[in-house]
Parts: sequence; structure tokens; C-alpha cells
Amino acid sequence: MLSPSVDNLVAQLSRLPGIGQRTAQRLAFHILSTGKEEALALAGAIGEVKERVRFCRECGNLTEEELCTICLDGRRDRTVVCVVEQPVDAISLERTHEYRGLYHVLGGSLSPLDGIEPEHLRIGELIRRVGEGGIEEVVLATNPNMTGEATAAYIADRLRHSNGGDRVRVTRLASGLPVGGDLEYADEVTLGRALAGRREL
Amino acid sequence: MLVTGANGAGKTNLLEALHVGTQGFSPRTRADAQLVRLGCEGARVALGGERAGRPVLLELTVQAQQGKRAKLNGASLRSVEQLRGEVATLVFTPDRLAVVKGGPAARRAYFDRSLARLLPARGMLPTDYAAAVGQRNAALRRAAGGLGNRTAIEPWTRQVASLGASLVVARQEALGLLAPAFAERADELGLTEAALDYTGAPPTVEELDARLDRDLERGTTGAGPHLDDVTVSSGARELRSFGSQGEQRLAVLSLLLAEAEVLTELRGVPPLLLLDDVLSELDATRRRALAERIGVVGQTIVTATGADALPLEPAQLLEVKPGAVSEA
Repeated sequence: MLSPSVDNLVAQLSRLPGIGQRTAQRLAFHILSTGKEEALALAGAIGEVKERVRFCRECGNLTEEELCTICLDGRRDRTVVCVVEQPVDAISLERTHEYRGLYHVLGGSLSPLDGIEPEHLRIGELIRRVGEGGIEEVVLATNPNMTGEATAAYIADRLRHSNGGDRVRVTRLASGLPVGGDLEYADEVTLGRALAGRREL
Repeated sequence: MLVTGANGAGKTNLLEALHVGTQGFSPRTRADAQLVRLGCEGARVALGGERAGRPVLLELTVQAQQGKRAKLNGASLRSVEQLRGEVATLVFTPDRLAVVKGGPAARRAYFDRSLARLLPARGMLPTDYAAAVGQRNAALRRAAGGLGNRTAIEPWTRQVASLGASLVVARQEALGLLAPAFAERADELGLTEAALDYTGAPPTVEELDARLDRDLERGTTGAGPHLDDVTVSSGARELRSFGSQGEQRLAVLSLLLAEAEVLTELRGVPPLLLLDDVLSELDATRRRALAERIGVVGQTIVTATGADALPLEPAQLLEVKPGAVSEA
């Protein structure tokens, strides 16, 4: 089109999630028009994360060291482990400032249609962690969708039949109404789930 | 309301527009591009009416680039699907006969849509269940092809069993709501002892495990509600194989009228009924019985080539000519 290198940049950008051809073009022209320093800072940042960031040996979360900051933090409650699909889910839970336990990042959810089976997720590592002792509760916080539910059910079953798994309490995040919303605006499926999971006061 | 007009005048077109405007999709096609006139950029349907005594205004636009958008009383809806929760529309078109005379898949699809209207909180079950079966089939094929192993199938066997069981229960509940009204409406139209029976049982993990070898060989899940059927019968006769064309038509109509009745009871507001070309094939007695029923079930719009097709005086008579609708 204009030049092969611009084409290449557009093609690379459009591979990012949520970026279409048009947006990729806009971003590419923006990068072209910014100063060289700023553009190289972006390129450098990308290079740096790929260079330095890796997965925590213990929980699978993102880290620049052997272990992540949460696993290293002595003030965290080591008897509770919260199982999430992606590092970003752990970040969401951290924002609550309510959860003081550790995490276990699976790296996705089961989906044979996408070629993801149990051995592609960090499920074996979780079983091992629980088998080592010290963990009293595993909170399953996979997404409340079909694949997330299947993954949670599978892990719960594996834990039940694993070494030391019978000593562990396995819990699942509740699902239901968004706080601060009105019943009037809730969809039937969410409201139905909330009704099924009602609790005594 | 009776809509008349010559063949090709646009009667069905008018009903389709009413369906699109109230449900957000066409009963004829899922390709929204087909709703836009050739050479035009977009299509728009605006419907004004009254619901439970209050005025209601629905607006729907289809644009090639932006997709579909819907407004209710001037306020944008988050998604077009929300329309369906606001207004229910039931439609009869001649190709709906497939519900009775077609294969089990057509019946499952039809009754699952009814399920979503009658039990909205469980409306996603058919989709979720189908997704679980898809995942299990993928796991089966991976295992058979040496890409995965048998243990990888387990979570999906469990998911198919649990969602499948919930789906069977929901389908039976929905049929339970429809069946009595269906029998009554069918009887009124001269179809005696009409019944709906669900053929299928909740799948279990044991049942699925027992047939794992066969499933592996075929690469598909060979048991579960995705293979179940609903028997529509009159007396001892299953109408799919032993019903006449006329009886099949009466059964489809009775299903529609029955659902309208149940929905009115559940929502407190009767649904909009669209009956396309339903009168032509009925004899005089049945035409009268249908006309009388239509008079009491809420707003119904019927098409016919001539005004004499309806034995009773309609509340409103419209005439369609290509590109124009006028009060006759």
C-alpha cells in the first residue's frame, strides 16, 4: 500500500485482540507521527516484558523473579488458595483488598474445541501444591460460563480423589446479582441463578 | 386484524416487519442483510402500540456496518435480544408445518424456543448444553486421533450429564405447561385427544461412560437430549407419520394458540400473534372455530388473499398493495 514496513506494522497490530484493520491503521499512523523516542519506548517495553516477565514457579502468576510478590509475601494466608483462569483475574480479586490468601493461575479453561485439555492447564501443579499440605481451602474462581464451570467441576473432582484432597475444603465463588443494581434491570438468567443461590438471613 | 392483498402484494413482508420490530430477527432468515432493500444502506422498523394499557414505542434499525440496534420508548436497549423479553410474538407461516411433520431437530428447535419464552431463567440451557456436547465431541475426536487422552473426556461427560439433565427437566416442565392448553385448543379445532409427550430421559454419567467406546469410534455423543424428541399425537396416532396435512396444520396452530394462552397467564400480557396464510387450507367449520378463538387471544394479525376468507368481521381490515398498506 504505502510502504512494506507500514503494512507490516498494521498487520502486526491487527493481530492484537480487539484491534481491527481500521484501528490498526490508526495506531500505525499515530506511531509514525510520534517522536522516535516515544515509539522506541513502546517497542522497548514490549521487548522488556517478553524478556523479563515469566510465570511464578509456585502459582503461575506473572512475575519477574522466581516467585511472584504474592507468594513471597509472608503476611498472606497460606492456608487458602484461589484458583483463577488468567493472571488478570487475580488482579481483579486483588483490587477487592478482601482476599488475603494465595493464588493458583491455570492459564485458561478446559476447551477441547480449542485444543485445551487438563494437561495444558496447571491442574497437576495445583494437585501437587495441595498434596504438600498446609492448604485448608481451595476457592474455585474460574469464570461463571460453560467452560469455566466445567473446569471448576473437574478440579473439584480431581482434588477429592487426590492425595490429601480429603482434608481440603473446596468452595466456588457465588454468582448472582451485581451489587448496587436494581432487580428491574437484571436479566432472567442472572436473576434465576441468584434465586437458586439464595441464603438464609 | 385481517390483512388482505393479491399474491406478491407484500402481506408476508408486513408480518415479517412486525416480527423483526418486536423480536429483533426475522422468522424467514438469520442473515440480517436480507432485511435491507437492495441498494439501500439500512432498514428501520418503528412500531407504536399499547401494552397493558400503556403506550409503547419500539424502534429497530438494521445497518450493514453497525448491525442492529433497538430502542424501547426512546431509550436504547443494551442488546436487540432484550426486545424478546419485552414483547412476545408468535408466528405461523406455512413452513412451520415442519414442527409436526419434519424431523426431531425441527421439533427440538421449536420447543426450545418455547422453553426460552416460558422459562426465561433457563432460556440459555439449550445453548449451553449444545456447547457442552460440542466440547465433548471435540474431546472424543482428539482422544480417538491420539491428540488427547480418555481422561480429558471426563469433565465433559459430567457437564453433558448435568446440563442435559437440567435441560430434560426444563423441557418437560415447558411441555407440561403447554400440553393441557394444547389439548383444549386442538379439540376446539376438531383434533381430538391431542397430546404432547417427551421422549427421552435425563442422561447420566454412567450411561455416557457405558457407551464411551462407541462414542469414541463415531466421534460424537450418542445419548442425551440433543437426540430426544417430542411426540405430537391425536389419540393413538402420531401426527408426524399418520396425520393428514390438515391435521398437521391444526396441530401447529394449536401449539401456537396454547403457548399464547400460557404466556398471557405468565406475563399478564398476551403475545402478538402473526398468522400467515393460515385460512386457505382450512374447511369452513374450522375456519370459524379459529376465527372465534382469535377474537379472544389478544392481538392477532391474519393474512389472506380476500376479505371473505375470515368468517367473522375483523376489528380492522387492511389492504396491501405493492409498497403500500391502507385501511380498507
